[in-house]
Amino acid sequence: MSFVEFQGVSKSFGDTIAVEKLNIAIEKGEFFSLLGPSGCGKSTTLRMLAGFLPPSTGRISVHGRDITRLPPEARGIGIVFQNYAIFPHMNVFDNIAFGLVERGEQKTEIARKVDAALEQVGLSGYGGRFERELSGGQKQRVALARVLVIEPEILLLDEPLSALDKKMREEMKFWIKDIQNSIGITTIYVTHDQSEALTMSDRIAVMSNGRLLQVGSPREIYEQPSSRFIAEFIGESNLLDVRVTSVNGVSCEVDLGGSLTVPARCSKQVKLSPDERVSLLLRPEMLRLAPMDAQEAPRLKGRIADSVYQGALRRYRVIAGEHDFVVEVPNRPELAQLSSGDQVDVFWSTESGVVVP
Amino acid sequence: MGRASPLRLNWLLVVPLIIFFVIFFVIPVGLIFATSFNPQTIGQVSVTTDLTLDNYVRFFTRSSYLQAAGRSVMLAAIVSAVTLFVAYPMAFVIAKTEHPGRNTFLMILVLAAMQLDMVIRLYGMMVILGDNGLVNQMLIALGLTGPDDPVQFMYNFLGVVLGLVQFSLPFMILTLIGVIAGIDPSLEEAARSLGASRSRAFRRVILPASMPGILSGSLLVFALSISSYIVPALMGGFRVGVLPIHIFQQVAEGARFQFGATIAVILFLISAGAVAIYLHIGARRSGGLA
Ligand SMILES: Nc1ncnc2c1ncn2[C@@H]1O[C@H](COP(=O)(O)OP(=O)(O)OP(=O)(O)O)[C@@H](O)[C@H]1O
Ligand SMILES: [Mg+2]
Repeated sequence: MSFVEFQGVSKSFGDTIAVEKLNIAIEKGEFFSLLGPSGCGKSTTLRMLAGFLPPSTGRISVHGRDITRLPPEARGIGIVFQNYAIFPHMNVFDNIAFGLVERGEQKTEIARKVDAALEQVGLSGYGGRFERELSGGQKQRVALARVLVIEPEILLLDEPLSALDKKMREEMKFWIKDIQNSIGITTIYVTHDQSEALTMSDRIAVMSNGRLLQVGSPREIYEQPSSRFIAEFIGESNLLDVRVTSVNGVSCEVDLGGSLTVPARCSKQVKLSPDERVSLLLRPEMLRLAPMDAQEAPRLKGRIADSVYQGALRRYRVIAGEHDFVVEVPNRPELAQLSSGDQVDVFWSTESGVVVP
Repeated sequence: MGRASPLRLNWLLVVPLIIFFVIFFVIPVGLIFATSFNPQTIGQVSVTTDLTLDNYVRFFTRSSYLQAAGRSVMLAAIVSAVTLFVAYPMAFVIAKTEHPGRNTFLMILVLAAMQLDMVIRLYGMMVILGDNGLVNQMLIALGLTGPDDPVQFMYNFLGVVLGLVQFSLPFMILTLIGVIAGIDPSLEEAARSLGASRSRAFRRVILPASMPGILSGSLLVFALSISSYIVPALMGGFRVGVLPIHIFQQVAEGARFQFGATIAVILFLISAGAVAIYLHIGARRSGGLA
C-alpha cells in the first residue's frame, strides 16, 4: 500500500467535471508533481487532498487511513498557496507561530521553534515584519516556514513559484528541492511549468481535462511519453507521421515515407501492431546535422529553412521531403555554422527515435 | 500645445465642484461656527463682529446640556454596537454565498439605504412597534403581556435605538460585505490546514481581517446616529433629549440661533473626536502604517 492514495476520485462543479476517476499512488518521502495545462484539475486534486473540497466520488487515504471526510485541521497536511496567504494582520513571527499556537504549545517552545524555522528559511531577524514589508520571495519563505514548523506528514505546493520573476524562480526551485531533500517530507507539487516538474520531481503525473494521462519519472515522461499530447506538452518535439512495419519487443521499424524505413524504440506499455499509424518522436537536441554524404544512419536529406542564434544553441528549421524538423545544435567552434538554403543531412542515433501512439 | 494643457483641463473640471463645496458646505459651516461666538440675541440671524464665549460657558455649566451630550454619545455607541452585531452575520452570509439571488438582495439593500424616505420607513416602524402595533398584538395574543399593559417600544430611548438601528443597517451591511468579500479565501484555508477549527479560523483570521470594515461601518453608523434629528423626533416623540433635538428646540422654537449654533459646533466636535479615535485605532492595527 502506498502512502497517499487516490482511489477513483472524481469532482464535478455542476456540469463541469474538474477531475475524473483519478487513481494515484504516492510513496512516502517522494517529490511528486502534478503537471498539466491550465484548468486540467491540478488545484482541485490538491484541494481535495487538503480537505478544502469534498470529492464527488472516490476515496483518499493516507497511511491506509481513509481521510476523505476528515476536516482540513485534522489531516496533518501543510499547504503553500500560489499567493502565499500570509495573514496580513500578523507579523512574520505570529504567522509562523500560528499552527503551534493552535496545537497549544508552550510559549518558550513556540519561540524556539519559530526562530529555528526563520533560520531554516534564511529569514532570521524578519520576525517583526508584516506581509506588506516582504518581497515575493520572502513571502514564499514565510509561507513555507509556517507550514514546516508544524512538521506535517505531507507538504502541498500549488504553483508556488508562478508569482516570482524568472531569476527568483530558478533560485527558489533548487532551494525548495534542497529543503525537501533534507527533511524528506512527502511533497506534492502542482505546476503547469514542465521545466519545474522535470528538474524537481521524483515522479510526475501528467493531467489533461481532469484525467491522469501518464505517471513516471521525469526521464520516462520526457523520453517515452505515452501520447502525442504529452510529447508536445513536455519539452520541444518533432513528431513525424509514420507507419509501423515490424515490432520486436521494445524495438521496431517504422516507415518514414519515401521508401525510408528506420529502427526506433517503442515503449513497453504500448502494444503496437504492424501497419499501425503512429508518430515518431525526435527531440530537437537528439538530431544532428551533417554535410551530405556522411555514412551514419538513419538520415534524411534536407535543406535549412531557418537558422536562429540562441547563445548556447543554434536552432535550425530543416525541411526534408514531407517532414519538417526543429534541430538544436550546441554552438561549438568546430561545428559548421549553417545558413538558410544549405543542403544538409539530418541524422540521429537509433535509440533516440521513440514511437508514440 | 504644451504638456501642461491636460492638467489645466483637469483643474477646470474640478472648479465647479470646488465652488459647489464652498457655497454649500464651507460657508454654512463657517457661519454656524462664527454665530456660535456671537452673544445670544433672540431673533438675530446674521453674524456680528461681537465675539464672546458666553454660549459655550452656558452649555458647559448646565447639567441638562451635558446630560444631553452624554445621552447622544451613548445612543450613538449603543446603536453602532447593536447594528454591528445584527449586520455582521447577515453580511457574512451574503458575502460568502454564490446564490444568484444575492445580487438582487444587494440591490434591495442599496435602495433601502439610498432611496426610501426616512419618514416613510419610520411610519412603517410605528405600525409595527406602536402600543397597538403588530408586535404588541402578538405579545398580547401569546399572553406574554396584558391587553392594557402594552410594551413601550416607542417614545422612549428603546424606540430611538430601534429606529436608528433599522436606519443604519443597510449602511453597515454594505460596508461589511465589501470588506468580507475581499478577504482572500485562502487565508481561511491556510488557517484550517495549520490546525485551526472553523470557529478558531474565524476568530483568529476572518474577524481580524474584517476589522477595517467593522471600524469604518461603526464610525459611519456612529456619525449617522449622533446627528440624526428625525429618528429621535418621531421614534422618541421629543422625549429623548439628544443634541439634535436641543438644536431644533433652540433654533425653531426659541429663535436662539447663537446657542443653537453652539450646540451644533459641539456635536460636530464630538463626531470629529470619534473620527480621530477611529484613525488612531486603524493606524495602530496596521502597524503604524495607515
Ligand atoms: N469552485 C469552482 N466552481 C466551479 N468550477 C470550478 C471550481 N473550481 C474549479 N473549477 C473548474 O474545474 C476545472 C479545474 O480547475 P482547477 O482549478 O483544478 O485547474 P488547474 O489545473 O489548477 O488550473 P490552473 O493551472 O489554471 O490553476 C476548471 O475547468 C475550473 O473552471
Ligand atoms: Mg490551479
